[in-house]
Amino acid sequence: MPVALVIVPVLPGLYWALSPAWGSQVWLALWHEPQWPQALQATLTSALLGSVLAAASAAMLAMLIYPSALWFRMQRHLAVLLSVPHAAFAVGLFFLLAPSGWLARALAPLFGWTSPPDWLSVQDPWGLSLTLALAIKESWFLLWILMALLGEQAVARQMLVARSLGYGRMQIWRAVLWPQLLPRLAWPMAAVLAYGLSVVDMAIVLGPGTPPTLAVLVWHWLTDASPEQQALGAAASLVLLALLVAVGGLASLAWLVHRRQRQRRLPTGQRRPHNPPVWLKLHLPLLGIGYLVVALLVLWSLAGPWFFPALWPQALTLESWRSANWQPFWTTLWLATAASMWCVAATLVWLEWGPQRYNAVLYLPLIVPVLPLVAGQYAALLKLQLDGQAVGVLWSHLLMVLPYTLLTLVGAYRSFDDRLMTSARALGQSRLSACLRVKWPLLQRPIATALAVGFAVSVAQYLPTLFAGGGRFATVTTEAVALSAGGNRRVLAVQALLQVVLPLVGFALAALWPRWNSRHRLGLR
Amino acid sequence: MNKILSLPLLVLAFAAQAQMQTPAAWSTVEAQARGQTVYFNAWGGAEATNAYIDWVTKEVKRRYDVEVRHVKVTDAADVVKRVQTEVAAGRLNDGSVDLLWVNGENFRNLKNAGLLYGPWAESLPNWGAVDLNKPVRSDFSVPTDGFEAPWGTAQLTFIADKKATPTAPDSASQWLRFAQANPGRTSYPKPPDFHGTTFLKQLLIELTPDPAALQQPVNASTFARATAPLWAFLDQLHPLQWRTGKAFPASAAEMHRMLADGELRLSLTFNPNEAANLIASHQLPDTAFSFGFTAGTIGNVHFVAIPVNAKAKAGAQVLANFLLSPEAQVHKADIAVWGDGTVLNTAKLPAAMQARFHKKAPGALTSHVPTLAEPHASWVEALESEWLKRYGTR
Repeated sequence: MPVALVIVPVLPGLYWALSPAWGSQVWLALWHEPQWPQALQATLTSALLGSVLAAASAAMLAMLIYPSALWFRMQRHLAVLLSVPHAAFAVGLFFLLAPSGWLARALAPLFGWTSPPDWLSVQDPWGLSLTLALAIKESWFLLWILMALLGEQAVARQMLVARSLGYGRMQIWRAVLWPQLLPRLAWPMAAVLAYGLSVVDMAIVLGPGTPPTLAVLVWHWLTDASPEQQALGAAASLVLLALLVAVGGLASLAWLVHRRQRQRRLPTGQRRPHNPPVWLKLHLPLLGIGYLVVALLVLWSLAGPWFFPALWPQALTLESWRSANWQPFWTTLWLATAASMWCVAATLVWLEWGPQRYNAVLYLPLIVPVLPLVAGQYAALLKLQLDGQAVGVLWSHLLMVLPYTLLTLVGAYRSFDDRLMTSARALGQSRLSACLRVKWPLLQRPIATALAVGFAVSVAQYLPTLFAGGGRFATVTTEAVALSAGGNRRVLAVQALLQVVLPLVGFALAALWPRWNSRHRLGLR
Repeated sequence: MNKILSLPLLVLAFAAQAQMQTPAAWSTVEAQARGQTVYFNAWGGAEATNAYIDWVTKEVKRRYDVEVRHVKVTDAADVVKRVQTEVAAGRLNDGSVDLLWVNGENFRNLKNAGLLYGPWAESLPNWGAVDLNKPVRSDFSVPTDGFEAPWGTAQLTFIADKKATPTAPDSASQWLRFAQANPGRTSYPKPPDFHGTTFLKQLLIELTPDPAALQQPVNASTFARATAPLWAFLDQLHPLQWRTGKAFPASAAEMHRMLADGELRLSLTFNPNEAANLIASHQLPDTAFSFGFTAGTIGNVHFVAIPVNAKAKAGAQVLANFLLSPEAQVHKADIAVWGDGTVLNTAKLPAAMQARFHKKAPGALTSHVPTLAEPHASWVEALESEWLKRYGTR
């Protein structure tokens, strides 16, 4: 089973990687570690507040503008913005918000600044800039999930019915839509929270340094030379896991209590048809900042001399692109192509022949903090002597890519009209050839999308590439994060842009290829 | 008198000759190396260095048919850990690291743990041209014993912008006075970044009551006594620093950028030519200049070493030997390339080559700054962990 190959070796790896954490003296050492309390605080702030803000802004935006023409226009923007990887977004946001960044430069003439203001706008000790970045980035993701849920016929129809009964938009959201949407948003929220808890690439760029967030600290410890530090890392990565479980538990408890109280207050039948304020144009800053960030990346990649407080570069030049290091680009390209192809193939096999009731296991990497997983993978690779090998890196990506390809394909696969398969089998085709000649060609659009999603996920991987690759494999993501500590913004901007371009091209191809491929087939267009 | 003195020297020279491999032995190494792939793990944080290693890669491929892959490392300590893990996991002959750019405590850790292959360095054909007056046989007071080959020299150098800083501080106490006059405009990279740690050591050498104690391995009582003035100094300095000393730049490269934007007034580097290099690539304004402290700044030699479990040991030696060749050293010293100081005795080289070693460019260090020896390698870890304990949290 191709799927078992991806998952099974991780389990003993997890044991090898995390077993140093058994023993009370490790936990005592962690307790006395001076950086630990503040690192924990920065992690909690950025992960919790970031997730809450992301959820709140996505929810508010949806309540304000669904349903409207704008809501459907936003879908296209989101598709573009979602393909901006986390690391590239963090780099661009740094260019915007840093004390010598573009925002301060724009304000400089107003206040007569000649040197950058003493702002704490990035890498602040509380992790607030990281919080902001997570909130914006994850609000796009949650909006996209909301769009998918609201796009379902049943939900959309309820809105129509409730409105025709004279209820106001806010009333409908409160009484009809949220009660069904919230439980279905629980898993995406868990994914957002897990990501926030263990994010390392964004935290290196935007997070605090004295001390860093817990995830960065864990990463430092796990890669340290001394066994005591490695044990600390193992213990602290278990803490990350415990945090997720604790927050998840609290959230579901709160939900139960809320449900019980709601049942006592039944709807009164009173209509409040007033609509929410139109002046609140939340979508403008939320989406605009994404485009601004990409524009700044483009500008820096083309800039000649450009010192504070100049708003524009003194000259534009292609020098940074000419002298760019393309090696990470090619590495990323083959790695992401191989990973997404393999995962889509494995997903198709799994959906056709696999035991579907174990799907939840495959989704686990989405909602488990990535650090312990990656440490487990690395331990397994070490035992197999595959660390630092192309196969090892590829394998480490598969675990992260597989849940996404499964998630993208499972809906379309389930709703496939099985009568077509029955007909094909009745005409004497084997199950495999029926799949190859009827089912999969008909599903080419979702399959192409799954390929593009898998590709984008692989491009964005930071920790797996670093651990499993042993530093030998530089992808555009690892390169961008490594360069973010350096001084040359131009080189950094080039790598960050390449990181944006790769998934974008992938998504564009996924949209165009099925159309071209089925140009002679009216029903597939 | 002269004869008596020179006799032991002569014996030493003969001993060195005898240790050097015979041409036949070296040609076997070269033959073994042919077709090998050498994973060269070297800090990849500066484009000039990376570009130089690219050049080396091409040359070594052309001359010796050895494939070099530059593995860009952010911290050599990660590589130490990697070698350690590999050996512990039983990978004794096909490790992932063939040659490692290293010095100081990382070398000490590797050597003490028996994780280095050797001795090999002093039997390289190009060892003969090495300037033995430079500290090429002791790395942070730890004898190298032929387990690593010198590659280049470095000296702590500061950078400022003439426009904002007409007169630069020339000692630790002047640095403090400068910080008082320019609140929020000075800082240093956060230790354990090696530039940051070096800055700490620089201050320590100037402030400590007994500098000689720093050359001995550290112990708890000498540490407390020697470093007390340093912590007192930092307690005064930090509130005057950028973000009142509650945050630090991640690296020297980040400080250069902050200097260029006027966010900081002073930056630091280990390469006296780096400012010239950065001016040329538009990363610093052309009013930037380099300076040192009058009493001297820390200087050291950086090395390359071969892990005990390296797969391509012959290829690694061929590469290390090429790095020591006059051609490779002169190309490295070129300010337009990297500007890293040579470990060779330039007086022994042809005159045309000597001139290329001594070229200067605007922005580079012009005045002669005395070189101070590094403290014993064991001080690094002690300093870093104490610093982290005191200032690692806000």
